[in-house]
Amino acid sequence: MTVFADLPVRAAPVRGALRLLRRPDLALAVLVLAVVVAAAAAPGVFTARDPLRGVPADRLRPPGPAHPFGTDYLGRDLYARVVHGAGESLRATVVAVLIALVVGTVLGLLAGFVGGAVDEVLMRIVDVLLAIPGLLLSLTVVTVLGFGTAQVAIAVGVAGVAGFARLSRSEVLRVRRTGYVEAARGAGVRWYGVLARHVLPNATGPIGALAALEFGTAVLAVSALSFLGFGAPPPTPEWGALVADGRNYLAGAWWLATMPGLVVAAVVLAANRIGRALEHTEEGT
Amino acid sequence: MRRRLRIGAAGGVLLAFAAAGCSNGTNGAASAGPPRPGGTLTLGIAINPECVDPQQAGANGEVNVARQLVDSLTDQDPRTGALRPWLATSWRSSADATRFTFHLRKGATFSDGTPVDAAALRANLDGIVRLGARSPIAGSYLAGYAGTTVDDPYTATVRFRTPSAQFLQATSTPSLGLLSPRSVAADPGGRCHGTRLVGSGPFVFSGYQQNQQVVLRKRSGYDWGSPLWRHHGAAYLDRIVFRVLPEPGVRTGAVQSHQVDAITDVQPSDEATLTKSGVTELIRANPGFVFSLYPNVSRAPLKDPVVRQAIQLGVNRREVVDTVLTRSYRPASSVLARSTPTYTDLSAKLAYDPAAARAALARDGWRAGAGGIRTKAGHALRVDVVFTATFNQSQQVLELVQQQLRAIGVDLRLRPTTPGELTSVQQAGTYDFSWGNLTRADPDILRTLFSTRFHNADRLTDSPLEKDLTAQAATLDPERRAALSARVQTALVAGGYAIPVFELTQVVGLGPTAHGIGFEASSRLQLHDAWTSR
Repeated sequence: MTVFADLPVRAAPVRGALRLLRRPDLALAVLVLAVVVAAAAAPGVFTARDPLRGVPADRLRPPGPAHPFGTDYLGRDLYARVVHGAGESLRATVVAVLIALVVGTVLGLLAGFVGGAVDEVLMRIVDVLLAIPGLLLSLTVVTVLGFGTAQVAIAVGVAGVAGFARLSRSEVLRVRRTGYVEAARGAGVRWYGVLARHVLPNATGPIGALAALEFGTAVLAVSALSFLGFGAPPPTPEWGALVADGRNYLAGAWWLATMPGLVVAAVVLAANRIGRALEHTEEGT
Repeated sequence: MRRRLRIGAAGGVLLAFAAAGCSNGTNGAASAGPPRPGGTLTLGIAINPECVDPQQAGANGEVNVARQLVDSLTDQDPRTGALRPWLATSWRSSADATRFTFHLRKGATFSDGTPVDAAALRANLDGIVRLGARSPIAGSYLAGYAGTTVDDPYTATVRFRTPSAQFLQATSTPSLGLLSPRSVAADPGGRCHGTRLVGSGPFVFSGYQQNQQVVLRKRSGYDWGSPLWRHHGAAYLDRIVFRVLPEPGVRTGAVQSHQVDAITDVQPSDEATLTKSGVTELIRANPGFVFSLYPNVSRAPLKDPVVRQAIQLGVNRREVVDTVLTRSYRPASSVLARSTPTYTDLSAKLAYDPAAARAALARDGWRAGAGGIRTKAGHALRVDVVFTATFNQSQQVLELVQQQLRAIGVDLRLRPTTPGELTSVQQAGTYDFSWGNLTRADPDILRTLFSTRFHNADRLTDSPLEKDLTAQAATLDPERRAALSARVQTALVAGGYAIPVFELTQVVGLGPTAHGIGFEASSRLQLHDAWTSR
């Protein structure tokens, strides 16, 4: 009986951060996300140009010193549009991940902790959600909800619920059988106390890693929906919409679709790298 | 009627062509030698033709296919707008434009062997009325149809309850093209995909694969073509393959690499690339109502004529064409395109004058507010425009107009919608501007759009235009019709009842193996004279 071996262990945050930054690829990923988040928070710091006002005489200029990402068909600075689009796209992504995280975790906790019929019913619903491809589910939801950034965020969030529910349920099942939970129950702590104080905190690690991975997926899904025209109405510069706008100009102005496309790719890769690292940190402890 | 009545929606936009100054209607075949009969012409088209039955087809891509299958009573000269005999050798109209008598040529047959005669004409017109909502365009041409009398086997009189001067031009359109009586009786849904779709045209239906292609075959023994065509007898081509290539970049690549002989719907952004790679452009401006913003005058702020007139002055049409379109397109110089019969040049009234627009708004009590958007009595000068991407460049055009209007203090919001949603929004009237064009080589298009008894694009209740619109429908005198049409055009522009922006143009990209492709007046591709040197 090694009762003490499965006691909750917490990695020292400072040590963890240092370890993350010793790896250059990971550092780069963190830097990319930090820059993008900063651009979303304060676009004015990154560019002084108006993302909505173009100079028709300067239209379709290739990337150069004056316009690092080139200009679009109305002569708008593409870099300014990508920077201002960060806020729009990231907000939708964060909302989507939060919806998936909160709803999914609550469902998983309930199913895992209560068990029995509740578990059966919730998990069969989750099975159905998992059976439908994520993007297809998002498309269906957004078609019902209508056009707009908030609608896109909800649609992407709904598609992510199932993954979080599955994971948090399995974590709860794992933690529930540990000695300290048994001990707490045995000591007469009420069920919600056990759930909140012992089960939830010790089930969060893998869920955090999944959230980081889900962030990358959600950036992609949000961009995909806005590419298809479900996002904010033009001329709002959402990343997916920028790629869609550039699609018809691929032959003559490659930068229109390529530049925002590269930014989306960089953010997705960075989020994936960080998610992977968190996963390994979890496994290491 | 529904489909037709959606301005700008996929089914409602009739893309048509008439002579543009730079093109004679068919591509030059000088270097390719004399036409060579035989072979297959492959055409890359932009949309899947959901319905190739001419009487039910609505979108341009559909009618381009359907046109080849049927003949019409008359043919319209693209250069002059005059009607020429085709299946009808002569015709006579009553003075009040309610009775039209057609004498049909003898010897023409449908491809199932039945003769094209007066009884067939009656069956077709009766059949279109029975199609009802399935036949949005043809049905509207027959509004007020009272019946057809067979006077003798080759003479028929078409009767209308109300004056219908537009009917003669309508007989030249593929929408009123004749099908075999057996076809008329067949299931309309099946006809859409070619089942029992039998016409008398130079090509017959051969195969349909959803989202892939439509194949037509030559009708051998065909000998009753329009006198406007270049050669008599059967068509040159053995087969035409319409290949569905929705992605503009794919269409462009397909014609550049000679996988197809020609493509329709060349995008403005691809024109330069295509011409550089040796693809010839065949360009034709659409007659009819130009691409315009249609104000919903039933609610504020567009109820206010001053606001509409200011917006009229605040749109820089030349900049739209120079920035997001190409030299193939023209800025609007009236609400009708130049190629439309009775077009009246109103370019002076449509000149860009932002200073005058700002002054007019200021006089009207609209004061500059936050973010440069004007306000009056606490309301910002904010208007939305509902649109579908029927024409691929619509969004770019509207984004530029949005930018132009912001300079005079008007906040134009873009509301992209699906065709289905657009219909319900338009019915509910919960929008400020709608957007689109409507093509027809006849001034009656003005009545279709603005009469309170037809589409009523502006949601007018007591229309100041109604009297002139009704009068032009009741006269067959070209001069009187032109005068009435000019009056309506002037009133529409001056009152800001439509904000015309640009004339739609069809751009076809021709590879080196495509020859003799032409356009007919009221609309679409004419492929009887087409041939291939492949």
